[in-house]
Amino acid sequence: MAIRRSKKNLFLSLVMLVVLAACGGGDGGGGGDAGGEAKGELTVGVSGAFAENQIVAEMYAQVLEDAGYTVDRQLDIGSREISQTAFNNGEIDVVPEYLASLLLFLDPDATATGNASENAEKVRTALQGKNAVLLEPSGANDTNAIVVTGETAEERNLEKVSDLAPIAGELRFGGPPECPERPFCIPGLRDTYGITFREFRPLDTGPLTVAALEGGEIDVALLFSTSSVIEDKGWVLLEDDKNLQAAENITPLVRQDVVNDEVTELLNGVSEALTTENITELNARVEIDNEDPADVAQEFLEDEGLL
Amino acid sequence: MGVIGEAIQWLTDPVNWAGDGGIPHRMLEHMEISGLTVLAAALIAIPAGLAIGHSGRGRFLVVSLSNVGRAIPSFAILALALPITIKLGLGLGFWPTFFALFALAVPPILTNTYVGVAEVDRDLVEAARGMGMADGQILRRLELRLAAPVIMVGLRTAAVEVVATATLAALVAWGGLGRFIIDGFAVRDDARILGGAILVAVLAIATELVLGGVERLARPRTVSVRA
Amino acid sequence: MILAQADEPLVEPEWVMRNLDRIGERLVEHAYLTVLAVGIGLAICIPLGILAYRHRRIYPPVTWLAGFLYTIPSLALFAFLTAYTGLTTLTAEIGLVSYTLLILIRNVVAGLDSVPLDTKESARAMGYTDRQLLLKVELPLALPVILAGVRVATVTTIGLVTVTSLIGKGGLGFFILQGMRRFFNTPIVVGAVLSVLLAVSADLALLGLQKAATPWARNRARTA
Repeated sequence: MAIRRSKKNLFLSLVMLVVLAACGGGDGGGGGDAGGEAKGELTVGVSGAFAENQIVAEMYAQVLEDAGYTVDRQLDIGSREISQTAFNNGEIDVVPEYLASLLLFLDPDATATGNASENAEKVRTALQGKNAVLLEPSGANDTNAIVVTGETAEERNLEKVSDLAPIAGELRFGGPPECPERPFCIPGLRDTYGITFREFRPLDTGPLTVAALEGGEIDVALLFSTSSVIEDKGWVLLEDDKNLQAAENITPLVRQDVVNDEVTELLNGVSEALTTENITELNARVEIDNEDPADVAQEFLEDEGLL
Repeated sequence: MGVIGEAIQWLTDPVNWAGDGGIPHRMLEHMEISGLTVLAAALIAIPAGLAIGHSGRGRFLVVSLSNVGRAIPSFAILALALPITIKLGLGLGFWPTFFALFALAVPPILTNTYVGVAEVDRDLVEAARGMGMADGQILRRLELRLAAPVIMVGLRTAAVEVVATATLAALVAWGGLGRFIIDGFAVRDDARILGGAILVAVLAIATELVLGGVERLARPRTVSVRA
Repeated sequence: MILAQADEPLVEPEWVMRNLDRIGERLVEHAYLTVLAVGIGLAICIPLGILAYRHRRIYPPVTWLAGFLYTIPSLALFAFLTAYTGLTTLTAEIGLVSYTLLILIRNVVAGLDSVPLDTKESARAMGYTDRQLLLKVELPLALPVILAGVRVATVTTIGLVTVTSLIGKGGLGFFILQGMRRFFNTPIVVGAVLSVLLAVSADLALLGLQKAATPWARNRARTA
């Protein structure tokens, strides 16, 4: 055999090898749950790619792993739409959700209240016939927060959200790109408070919005009530005086075909330990101190005796 | 297919043509920043390439820069530009996008300018020197004219790359056509994603064609050029 | 008021130390996604290129289609595909492979075109069949140009893999996105620098392969 041809053969065989590896390996096809019963494989996802969601998802993942499950993580899902699509396809099995927002996502005509249990029941009704189970809500309530800087609050005399109504036409509003379609964001502000801002800048669920508010590129920001940056920067969370925001307790949503008593107990255990105060502290460690969500989650679980 | 129909509906809906978030405004933003960055890159890279090509010094720099430049993922540049512009007090949106796209546009323009000049037949240069032309004159009247087509290819490559990459800039709070893709992705509005993609593709193709045309005009008719 | 990040150093060594294994995993993911994409691209483009070389008429439509795919902005393609194929490796690969097609098909055909007519004629004179001509003469002589295409395709793919972080993959791009989401410099810098190093090393390695595979072409080296 000519030397040249063997080199070319080698090259072609390498290519074949790669192709075969592709067929054999990969992630086993699009979301195929081959044998996900008992101590099988689970994927934990997020309903938004921000610190709090990732911390809680890590908590779920770690308690499940500790009990012997093999857990895959998908912690970079940008919004509920993507997350729900992935959930319905079986690409993720467990996800931390927010009660009122989930309810309105599933049933836009529903009414969400300030009562967590009520909202949870309504979600369960909306989930009937679907491959999904809502577990127990935690005590951690994270609602949308309308935030302005300390200076703006002083200058314009702002304490409550309704204070914005007369001057909204002069103000620039910034938040995640989904805001125009979220009942607790732009449509809600318009319908409940009569607020229409001069302009809306699509940013994100975190750093870009924070940077924009800080840099004066927006006047009003949509953040979250458990965001540690609000207090850290001396910003003002305007009071939701007309109760637009409802109970948004963090609750595990699990696919029917992976849920069992053990999984339920483990995840509810995490929910029991979470409160609005402690999740805000954990958020601070990730958002301000740049710690990893996984490490922060682990320490919390160990402290609470869940790991 | 249903989604293509939806995308066409989205593209032809007058609501989407109005206001700051509308198609014309985003298209304009996109073209503006692409034009600005390619222009700025050209202003730096062409003179540098000419000088290096003419004198032959600094060749190593050009080759390394072009290799490394080609290897840098545009997404990475964008992500890196953000903390830098914030540190410099330049904020989000325009400036990080500008820096990232500028960094992207320089290597192809620089490389092509350098190669274009360096490839000019040495005999011609010698002949010009023999005729008593000064260095500066040789550069302008001979080398630049002969290198023009190759430089244009560099500009064209840079421009198309910039137009395509500017879609990512929506991630650093900038506007442009990428906004339709990113925002559409966030709310799973496939029609918007596809519509945005079609718009960018159209812009990229148009850029290719227009600059390709300019390139043909730039070909000197008197002397044959080595491709 | 200064953002916490403005005072931050560009890289925090402790983060790197703590995350060495995660970095390693992502590096492997990055390389895997790249090799897979280029491999599949070649598996498609070598036979297709040979076909286009023999039957000229199919070359324009093939390059047109590949060119069209190439023009679709990567972000849009990935975002759009997730609706059908989910946040999976398959989605990432469909996109990544599509972007290699144009460069690879062009280079396969150009490589085959570059085989001197004289060489082919002598081979025929020696009684080579079509198949022997292809395997013993044309492909080996086309190899340098094909490998040049593989180099460009590989470097481009390495860059594109970072974009797949937006659909849950990403390789080293995962850190870039993570850094952006948390306004934390270190992962961005680490992700970016490692991606560049990966690309440059791949480029050099393939350049070496290109030179080794073509001892007769060493003196014809031109600037890439």
